[in-house]
Amino acid sequence: MFVTKKSLPRRTFLRAMGTTIALPFLDAMVPALSARALKPTPRYGFVYIANGVIQNLWTPATTGAGFDLTPTLQPFASLRDKISVLSGLSHLQADTFGDGTGDHPRATAVWLTGVHAYDRAQPGVEVKLATTVDQILVQEIGKTSQIPSIEMSVDFPTQGSCDSGDCFYVNTVSWRNETTPNNTESHPRILFERLFGDGGSTEARLARARSEGSILDSVREEASRVANSLGRGDKNKLHEYLDSVREVEQRIQNAESQPVDIELPERPTDIPSSFDAHTKLMFDLQALAFQADITRVFSMIMSRELSTMTFPIIGVPEQHHGVSHHRNDPQLIAKKARIDLYQSQLFAYFLEKLQSMPEGDGSVLDQSLLLYGGGMGDGNMHRHSNLPTLMAGGLGGKFKMGRHLQYTLDTPMANLLLTIMDSGGVHLEKFGDSNGRILEPLSVS
Amino acid sequence: MSYSRLLRCAVLSFAVALATATPGAQSPAALPQPAPAAASATLLKQYCVTCHNERLKTGGFVIDPADVANVGSGADRWEKVVRKLRTQSMPPPGAPRPDAASYDRVATFLETELDRTEAARPHLGKLPLTHRLSRTEYRNAVRDLLALESLPREVSIDYLLPPDNISSGFDNIADLLFISPSNMERYLDAARKISRLAIGDPAMPVMVNIYRLDPEHPQDERVDELPFGTRGGIAVRSEFPVDGTYIVKVEVGAANGHDLEVTVDGERVALRSLGSGGPGAPSVDAPPGQPDPSDPDPTPPSVDRPAVQGRGAGPTDAAGSGGAAGARGGRAGGRGRAAAPPPLEFPLALKAGPKLIGVAFVQRTEARDEATLRPRMRSRGTQPAINSVTISGPYKVTGTGDSPSRRRVFVCRPTSAKGSGEAGSSSAEETACARRILSTLARRAYRRPANETDLRDLLPFYEQGRKQGSFDLGIQKALERLLVSPQFLFRIEREPANVATATAYRVSDLELASRLSFFIWSSIPDDELLDAASSGRLKDPKVLEQQVRRMLADPRSESLVTNFAAQWLYLRDISAKLPDEILFADFDETLRNAMQRETELFIGSVFRENRSVLDLLRANYTFLNERLARHYGVPNIKGSYFRRVTFPEGSVRGGLLGQGSVLTITSYSTRTSPVLRGKWVLENLLSAAPPPPPPNVPSLNTEKAPGKPLTLREAMIQHRASPACAGCHARMDPIGFAMENFDAVGRWRERDGEQPIDATGTFPEGTKFDGIPGLKKELLRQPEQFVGTVAERLLMYAVGRNLQYYDAPTVRAAMREAAPADYTLASLVLGIVKSRPFQMREAGGE
Repeated sequence: MFVTKKSLPRRTFLRAMGTTIALPFLDAMVPALSARALKPTPRYGFVYIANGVIQNLWTPATTGAGFDLTPTLQPFASLRDKISVLSGLSHLQADTFGDGTGDHPRATAVWLTGVHAYDRAQPGVEVKLATTVDQILVQEIGKTSQIPSIEMSVDFPTQGSCDSGDCFYVNTVSWRNETTPNNTESHPRILFERLFGDGGSTEARLARARSEGSILDSVREEASRVANSLGRGDKNKLHEYLDSVREVEQRIQNAESQPVDIELPERPTDIPSSFDAHTKLMFDLQALAFQADITRVFSMIMSRELSTMTFPIIGVPEQHHGVSHHRNDPQLIAKKARIDLYQSQLFAYFLEKLQSMPEGDGSVLDQSLLLYGGGMGDGNMHRHSNLPTLMAGGLGGKFKMGRHLQYTLDTPMANLLLTIMDSGGVHLEKFGDSNGRILEPLSVS
Repeated sequence: MSYSRLLRCAVLSFAVALATATPGAQSPAALPQPAPAAASATLLKQYCVTCHNERLKTGGFVIDPADVANVGSGADRWEKVVRKLRTQSMPPPGAPRPDAASYDRVATFLETELDRTEAARPHLGKLPLTHRLSRTEYRNAVRDLLALESLPREVSIDYLLPPDNISSGFDNIADLLFISPSNMERYLDAARKISRLAIGDPAMPVMVNIYRLDPEHPQDERVDELPFGTRGGIAVRSEFPVDGTYIVKVEVGAANGHDLEVTVDGERVALRSLGSGGPGAPSVDAPPGQPDPSDPDPTPPSVDRPAVQGRGAGPTDAAGSGGAAGARGGRAGGRGRAAAPPPLEFPLALKAGPKLIGVAFVQRTEARDEATLRPRMRSRGTQPAINSVTISGPYKVTGTGDSPSRRRVFVCRPTSAKGSGEAGSSSAEETACARRILSTLARRAYRRPANETDLRDLLPFYEQGRKQGSFDLGIQKALERLLVSPQFLFRIEREPANVATATAYRVSDLELASRLSFFIWSSIPDDELLDAASSGRLKDPKVLEQQVRRMLADPRSESLVTNFAAQWLYLRDISAKLPDEILFADFDETLRNAMQRETELFIGSVFRENRSVLDLLRANYTFLNERLARHYGVPNIKGSYFRRVTFPEGSVRGGLLGQGSVLTITSYSTRTSPVLRGKWVLENLLSAAPPPPPPNVPSLNTEKAPGKPLTLREAMIQHRASPACAGCHARMDPIGFAMENFDAVGRWRERDGEQPIDATGTFPEGTKFDGIPGLKKELLRQPEQFVGTVAERLLMYAVGRNLQYYDAPTVRAAMREAAPADYTLASLVLGIVKSRPFQMREAGGE
């Protein structure tokens, strides 16, 4: 995509970055965008929260429409008609089968796959999962968008130990295929540059695209030649490389053919020092990417399983994972609940942002379907049952929002994943450990 | 069988860890007489089979003593048994266990059998033919290929490329080095930026490199590398791409009455008095040779204003080691800071190449007094301080200059093109030179002799660039193309056509050269190594050993400290640690950096001085500067530089276990964790990692009586009383308890709150020890456990795959090899290099 960059005063933007006050720095560009009559487009977002939730403060007591908002869901009060809460769903494939990958890594791995993470303690294979829902949807609705999908994280990938050493399972919820996870981006500036380019004139960026195009063309040829010379061995990694080359070539072509005329703020410089500002900034950029139809699918790790993040700003100086093992200590339960609430607030911020972006008869939020939750139900006990699951948006009315739907405990979460893929035009017989479809969330079931 | 026996067998099974490779061999001469198979079978029957039988299958593990007649057929299972015997972690606490000699006899018998089987029918493990460079390897490869030592922050590799996944502690595992479209975009971007920087593109866009000083960073002392007589500030080592004007912009806190100086490679180039009138008032500026301040750049830059303070980016970040995607600082920034005056700008005319830019206050006596009198506080108060330094440029390019990178790249210069030249087609002379330059680059980058095909890939980019501009631009474009080549980004090994599937073969000399350089340097081979390989001499054991020793002596082997050891010991975690800012008020970025530095210097000294790796545990010395010494309570260490400090006999410091880095990364943000520390020791020092906790851990009482909380130790003891937890915690907790005299940031303490520290521990088999000295003695009682762990981690790092049971014989052989040299790093590295997994590959097939 090519963006005609008309900078807003830098101060305006940076002030928003550096503060915990939600200064909507991108609002200034909304008029310019809304002038463009974008036709309604389906979009999907998947936001992961880790280490379970305090369930009695999350799960509404009443079901159906007009359900009671629990303390953890209070931030969604003004959006109650735009969200649905689903309880009772489980991902039992994340349970241990006597193997060693760990309850936390398996929780992340299972969330959008319904598949038990492969345990590499067995010789021969290091890594095996499955293509995730977001990437399956990309095949259907994301191929022609400028960036097929965005993966981000505001809880940094771990550099040290994980439960089992299989850190790659906790660092992303997005897998391109059974052996290739998508890495996540945490740096707002890099995300910004991927979305909007790194500055310079339109001509400069066109020249750069052409130059990259010819480089990609040339390395594709080289890689094919090398692959042919390798003989029988495992060429998997070279295929990953070739696939990536082809996809980036496609992106460049899509970008050249779909100029977007929007006003941009200045590039962010650094990762904001507060979690609050960082998360909001990443959400702001993603909202803009949705609005300008640069991408239609994203996933985000808002908190990572086993997270060592601390939250002194809300009175939780202890690490998230440690707090989640509350051992029924009322103080620790209260602290974990505070983290849960804080995450709700940040996600509600994103929903409000999307709600404020008009599109068609409604808003960008109305045209989107967002799944918010995780693969761990009770973090204290490592249970993958009764997972926190919240949907928002409604995908242009395909889903009926504003309800609490209660399912028999341990109904496969994968049943919901099938329904979500149906809504994007991907109709699979079965997915992960699904044993049916969940139809109630749909408007016409 | 009674129910209680059954229950005990069941719960104890949690202690059956998933074993991969096992250390524990001794030099053959010292081997005790192996027990004959029958005697081993008897012992196994007596001590193991009560639980691990066909009926109970405790822990899913069955031992049939009759199998000892043919150990080789169940090597994977027997290696697990060996590990349990060597660590004496089975039979479980409470169950009868054999004496030490019997343990050793059975283990030795099994090891001998296992080694014999593996020697007869070696397994080499599965490695993909293509192995992507890790981010660290890419950084080092760029450094060595292009003589780019200190990349400016905006193009530091940690910023340009995403971090890699870690598996079992290492990020160089071939199967886990993925590549996705977003990686590809980053590689393209990095190639463009690096090639411009290396060649010195006169059309290069302005870079804005912001170096922030942590608001907690005290600036009352001289910074390393800055001139004496200065204090505070920052030293930034950075490449400057071309000759031209660069602007150093300094944001200072309240600094009235102080003098600020800017230095380039130690020479003062600007001095400014921050008089009472604030910055911008009277200034003593710009000695000769500097740009005339009255002739600022025609388009004065408006440099990005730093958004926020408080990220974990201390001065070390300047060197690119901090990592753009490191931890979020997480602390409130700028407390106690007076309103900042407007920034100062210093335009500097600089030549291309690496420079050390210093910005600091000129030392004044009263400042020192003020710092001495003032109690240590986390904020700097109104003390003069630099908040950030931004180096931007180039503006007003005056020439491409003569940088080390250009000298490395331009192995020839066509007479027709002195760097600029008219755009157009390449002359014959130019083309010949371009071919030479690109062949030289391709040989180093692809780590093999360059050929015509390589030139056919690269030359069109040269020609295109030449058409658009100068000869140099042509080379730059070809370099950009080369840096995205799969043959640069991947280590590629080829299977000879005539090797049958599933047979082992020796890798080529050139492939061996890359294996060596990525193992010892985390980088590409140098010319000497490539020469040895190209001429086919490298496979000669004498040449090979000589090359290994040469490489270990080369400064590039520092990567065995900063890449291998840092990952092995999880030291990278230190950058993400956020000790509670109220409980540990004096933990700041300076201390964090000092802890990391201490451990790096310490490990480096053990490696470089050819000490036994056992010294990592038992050494009586470490490296301290004033800040860290104060933290440890070690007197009389002054100044910010590190020096070796030797401790008296029986001291608690000295060795890894007394270092702040290790003690902090194994703690929670608010308290110590005997469990984490015990787990860290078992996993990283003894290769005896406990399995993850079982699901549905029952909740614990945390109170003795209403309102009367248990001490940490009491809570842990109660935890261990729970049978589901006992198996593992009986080994983890005592180790952690022995380290309890160190708090969560590694300070010495006698009490935890009200409670005096009880640093005694007892292993399941009854061994008692007290405190760090006792624990060290216990760890050194069976030195093979630790050495075997080092050898095992080295092997994993060297071959880039997770280890399996069949690797245990290789580890044991490397240890035997290293024993006569008392287990120096060099002897262990040589043992690994000589091993089959390192020198051979198994033909794959589909």
